[in-house]
Amino acid sequence: MSLFRKKRLFIILIGIIVLVVLIGYSLGNRSKLSIGEQFVSDVIGTVQNVISAPVKFVTNIVGNIGDVRDTYEENEVLREKLAQYKGLIYEVQEIKEENEELRKLLDKADSIRSYNPIHATVTARSPERWIEQVTINKGKLDGVKENMAVITADGMIGKIQRASQQTSTVQLLTGFDEFNRISATISREKGNDIFGLIEAYDRESNSLILRIIEDSDQDLKKGELVVSSGMGGVFPAGLPIGKVKEVIPDQYGLTRTALVEPAANLYDINNVVVVDRVLSGEEGDEE
Amino acid sequence: MRHVFLPLILLILVALEGVALDILPSSLLDSNLMITPHWVLMFLVLIAIFYDRQNSYYAIMYAFIFGLLIDIAYTGILGVYMFTYAVVIYVILELRKMLHSNIYSALLFGIISITIAELIINVIYYVVGIMNTTWTDYFIYRLIPSVLANAIFILILYPIFAKRLEKWKNTQIK
Repeated sequence: MSLFRKKRLFIILIGIIVLVVLIGYSLGNRSKLSIGEQFVSDVIGTVQNVISAPVKFVTNIVGNIGDVRDTYEENEVLREKLAQYKGLIYEVQEIKEENEELRKLLDKADSIRSYNPIHATVTARSPERWIEQVTINKGKLDGVKENMAVITADGMIGKIQRASQQTSTVQLLTGFDEFNRISATISREKGNDIFGLIEAYDRESNSLILRIIEDSDQDLKKGELVVSSGMGGVFPAGLPIGKVKEVIPDQYGLTRTALVEPAANLYDINNVVVVDRVLSGEEGDEE
Repeated sequence: MRHVFLPLILLILVALEGVALDILPSSLLDSNLMITPHWVLMFLVLIAIFYDRQNSYYAIMYAFIFGLLIDIAYTGILGVYMFTYAVVIYVILELRKMLHSNIYSALLFGIISITIAELIINVIYYVVGIMNTTWTDYFIYRLIPSVLANAIFILILYPIFAKRLEKWKNTQIK
């Protein structure tokens, strides 16, 4: 009996050692998935592809029933907005053409704004709530790589954390920490743009924290649009991130931080676009 | 052929956990409540109670494998679910001798197992630095809602699988 007890203690000790080693391995600075992990992710991804379609279908029907009620009012509002946009589209078209012509003149074809879109569907969301990540059905075979930005029609939702052959996981903005900064900007006329870094996500106020690094005496207003600046070398410029909710000075009064409400709904995500920036930045540079 | 069913069901449950949060209304997701599905663990508890013999350890083996799968697919931090599920199922295997196996004991073991699993997982995440709320918030917003939600799940699983698992037990390869 005592031999058996000793054996049991031994197994538990070995288990704890293995646990510590594995956690250390996975938290270490690794950017690539091992082959085994890629294989497992792909197998589970395939099952998820099969399962998620019917589940989404049913949940969508339930959601649609709720939507039908508000449709009429929404339709009226949208019609009005559409009329306004028509003029805007014409204007944008003109400006785009002009921009292209000017770029040709300058011999500068690619800008940090241009990117190749990779369309993908969300198949799963991590059940572990501390870890904010979703799985999408496109992987390395489709050209997805680590650290690419991921957007929806409304704005940025996160970046590719790990890519396997056919699936990849997206780290959502809500899970960003000090290792995943986004350089952001608020557009102003005459080159007076305000620059800053999105530093983290604040769970209490449900908003991103934008530390303004320049022009701290400029006034920020509530509701101003924050977009990515493309200066970090990984994400292209001009992806909408969110709107300014509140501006607070830091404890020394030297810099100021803005609380930014994400533009995209981070809980109800179905179709996403992985953004493959045309101009590559410095390799291996963390944003 | 029958022993293929268990890994297959467990694999489907792993995949289903990924869409579990879609089933909840998004107002619940938006709020502070953090309901965490542990469906694989619930099924493992049923395996431990009804399928394992006195001296077999299938449930622990499956806990080990499918815990690792959850780690790979959903968290990227290897070993946490693997270790936790294996430990919890071991405890359940020890405890099950004390009670007759019926729906009440299954529910009780289910609740015990989620509570232990949740606590171990969160202690590990706390030490590693991923969990960053206070423990009181954790108890109110995550532990209690999760225990309730998963207890409901084991009540749904029980009528479907309890009899079947016992039948499969009798056709196990010795």
